[in-house]
Amino acid sequence: MDYFEPKTITEALSVLAKYGEHANVIAGGTDVMVDMKYKEEPGCLVNIKKIPGLDTIQENGASLQMGPLVTIRDIETSRLVRERLPLLWESCHQFASLQIRNTATIGGNICRASPSGETLAPLLALEAKAKLAFRDGEKTEAFISFFQGPGKTSLGSKGLLTEIEIPYPPKGSHGVYLKHAVRGAMAATLACAKLGAVYLPIFSGYAADAVATRLQDAEATVLITADAGNSSLQDVRIALGAVAPTPIRATKTEALLRGRSLTAALVKEAATLAASESSPITDQRSSAEYRGWIVEALTRRGLEQSWKAASGKEVV
Amino acid sequence: MSLTINLTVNGNTQSATAEPSTSLLDFLRDTLNYKGTKLCCNTGECGACTIIYNGKPINSCVTLAADANGAEIVTIEGLADGDKLHPVQQAFIDTGAVQCGYCTPGYIISVKVLLDRTKEPTPEDIEEAVSGNICRCTGYTKIVDAIQLAADRMAGRS
Repeated sequence: MDYFEPKTITEALSVLAKYGEHANVIAGGTDVMVDMKYKEEPGCLVNIKKIPGLDTIQENGASLQMGPLVTIRDIETSRLVRERLPLLWESCHQFASLQIRNTATIGGNICRASPSGETLAPLLALEAKAKLAFRDGEKTEAFISFFQGPGKTSLGSKGLLTEIEIPYPPKGSHGVYLKHAVRGAMAATLACAKLGAVYLPIFSGYAADAVATRLQDAEATVLITADAGNSSLQDVRIALGAVAPTPIRATKTEALLRGRSLTAALVKEAATLAASESSPITDQRSSAEYRGWIVEALTRRGLEQSWKAASGKEVV
Repeated sequence: MSLTINLTVNGNTQSATAEPSTSLLDFLRDTLNYKGTKLCCNTGECGACTIIYNGKPINSCVTLAADANGAEIVTIEGLADGDKLHPVQQAFIDTGAVQCGYCTPGYIISVKVLLDRTKEPTPEDIEEAVSGNICRCTGYTKIVDAIQLAADRMAGRS
């Protein structure tokens, strides 16, 4: 196996161009190392940790810019993230174990494109964007189109993620990140959903073959924005994780809720619809049917909790 | 191809070669002969291989040996002061928080990092600090007792 420690993005891209699909990029290594031991060694390992400048969190106007080498622990211990992006903070706080959080990077979690990647549903709910570098130039892409399937992203084998831009949610929005997992610290996301303006990320247990280990049952992220009088939902974003081949936005559910006043009956209808928008699988951790129930429950709780945070009132 | 890795382990400067795919755990155990750190799940889930890497607890089984180049590593062998055990080691013995002992070095490393950071850990601090360490023999009660005892002794409360 060949091995490179490029010092610049340009250098890394030229190695990727040379080795194509035989190259694996490694950062924290918490997933790649396991693959190398139990699957196949790549033809070439490209360790990007020596590229300077990719490990910072910076505020830029009403958004945060994060380098791909920022560790999950860096995010968890960032006051800025905790205050401005509590959905992302919560997903990192609930991420695996302390040992893993100390090495795993947000770029790795993203580029791994596991359906159950903890940070992915929050990033969808927050409408974050990826800055991607290719040999013929850079481009910026929303994460909603960046994730193409389990382990598949629009980077292909030729590009590098160089920055993550996360806009602050609208003023007055409230959200919640909910994860249903067997063992708190180490379970991967089973299902993840997110609602916006009420933003709700929900993850519910989709294990692709490539990522079959370390799965959770479900995750949901809900983010809502109530109108000025707290009488209706101005905006709702619901992102679900681990319940489809990629993290998804429950767009039909969002459309159902937008502009409406939240009642117990509407919450029930929305939760059922969100479950129908997911397409979980059955694996050794849970059945598809069970994961559907989890999506329903997490969506309901996400909406109720977000509404309470927004309006101070219970949904009735 | 093989890489030259220069690092500090338990305060001693070391240099050796490793294949690019070698894990830091295999490098420590098989090349540098620090056998105290244990190989168990080999997938970053059980915490038996926990070491301190530049001040932070990490799973050495899912870390590249190459990434230890220039790093400061502390393993379980680096905790005792001659024949005098580290207070965390002594507390695990005194409370009987050990059965087969295989997970113990990982626990003790995680707890040392915790108690270096705070002398008055809350139950939540303790749970977080060892949530990445799995023990398959004991209940966790005695391990938590040991952590509390070590904290009390290190703070002069016991």
